[in-house]
Amino acid sequence: MTRVVLVPGVLALLPEYAGLTDPVAELRAACLEAVAWLGEDVTVVADTQGERVARALLSAVGGFEAQAPGRLRTSTTEPVAEVRGAPQGERVAQALLSAAGVSARSGPQGAFAARPTVVVGNGSACRTEKAPGFLDERAAAFDDDLRSALVSGDVSGVDLALGRELLASLDGISRLGEILAPGGDVTIDYDDAPFGVQYWVMRWES
Amino acid sequence: MTLKLGRHEFADDATLMMAIVNRTPDSFYDQGATWAEDKAFDRVALVVEQGAEIVDIGGIKAAPGVEIGPDEEKSRVVDFVARVRETYPGLVISVDTWRAEVGRAACAAGADVLNDAWGGADPELVDAAAEHDAAIICTHTGGVTPRTRPYRIEYDDVVAAAIADTVAYAERAIAAGVDPRSVVIDPAHDFGKNTFHSLELTRRLGEMVATGYPVLVSLSNKDFVGETLDLPVGERLTGTLAATAVSALAGARVYRVHEVIETRQVVDMVNTIAGRRPPRRAIRGLQ
Repeated sequence: MTRVVLVPGVLALLPEYAGLTDPVAELRAACLEAVAWLGEDVTVVADTQGERVARALLSAVGGFEAQAPGRLRTSTTEPVAEVRGAPQGERVAQALLSAAGVSARSGPQGAFAARPTVVVGNGSACRTEKAPGFLDERAAAFDDDLRSALVSGDVSGVDLALGRELLASLDGISRLGEILAPGGDVTIDYDDAPFGVQYWVMRWES
Repeated sequence: MTLKLGRHEFADDATLMMAIVNRTPDSFYDQGATWAEDKAFDRVALVVEQGAEIVDIGGIKAAPGVEIGPDEEKSRVVDFVARVRETYPGLVISVDTWRAEVGRAACAAGADVLNDAWGGADPELVDAAAEHDAAIICTHTGGVTPRTRPYRIEYDDVVAAAIADTVAYAERAIAAGVDPRSVVIDPAHDFGKNTFHSLELTRRLGEMVATGYPVLVSLSNKDFVGETLDLPVGERLTGTLAATAVSALAGARVYRVHEVIETRQVVDMVNTIAGRRPPRRAIRGLQ
């Protein structure tokens, strides 16, 4: 059985950006629940920004000791997750894994086979005039197509160039084809664009 | 240092708004607006709604004027304290008095803090605080008589004098049995000071904070603000808030104020800039 989770690379999930109230409380809850569902020995597939966040969150729960950017260290006595891919999404993923009580480790690139995996990515950031990328009329259709691709488990047809124009975070998502086994079930735990950025929390099981 | 104000305790990093409630017919700022008990009670309700953690109830204006004896002061304050205590059990009640006799009666009625604006003029006030496990505000006045205006007072170093006197007062309070967590010091702007003194105390407030005692500042609409900007009472809010910002950056903990909302916003903003408080809600650029 393989379990895969998608979470968005939202920097507001990072502890150093915490305010007195949580602007992403509902999203955070969904992310934590999904990441916890993965269990142990989790692989992270993400872009660059997630690594620092992940390290800090892991440190906060005692399963990870913060170090210089780009390096990870883990307890050798705990079940660990392997971190690979670009670091941005990794920080978010590591943070979520840590908050869910799952520790992580860095390691060499390798096969994803049969390992629980968290993928960090999200849709466009151009859904409203208040969105980071302002309103782009193409964004809603792009996100609809991306949602359909994610649900089907086949992202090979996603227009990555348009996604980049629309500030979508696709580094991890584009590798889903390597990760998802065919014939699995998908659950959508979160599907919203509260700040003009399209977020999903999804779970695949096969 | 952790604050224990009578029945109430506050974390090391808490900043507190102490709202002024005058049971006087002639205080300089409100000119008797809350002289009637019901008006004063309405004022308490308002400042509680605005977020004040403390009310400072006073029965005698600070400036010279008609002599008010202890019995008259108690008649203005004590029953009112009891009424506020009953209605707002979670509110810190401070009483602005220098008299031990009034302080004892106020504490018996439910006061948590004795705010001695006159620098220990009545040496038994610390005993009153200790007897009732109340907090005490130890101010610096340069030794002037209560309800007098400063006249040609000078200091070699006003900040050094304020530190020496308030710390000595604090140590005397602790020796009398006041809980060390319940001792607050206050440079007492304008009291026994000219405008230059009050400005220097504001500028060097960090030296008082460095004593380790929580520092209270009472800046609201005072003459040093008015003289600095050449503005009358009623037009001093901006200057007050500027002095508040400087005091907040220096680390003052308690702010005795007429305007609760504006002061709270300034103190929170400054403390957030200083890295002592997170933003209320941050999402810009973090989506």
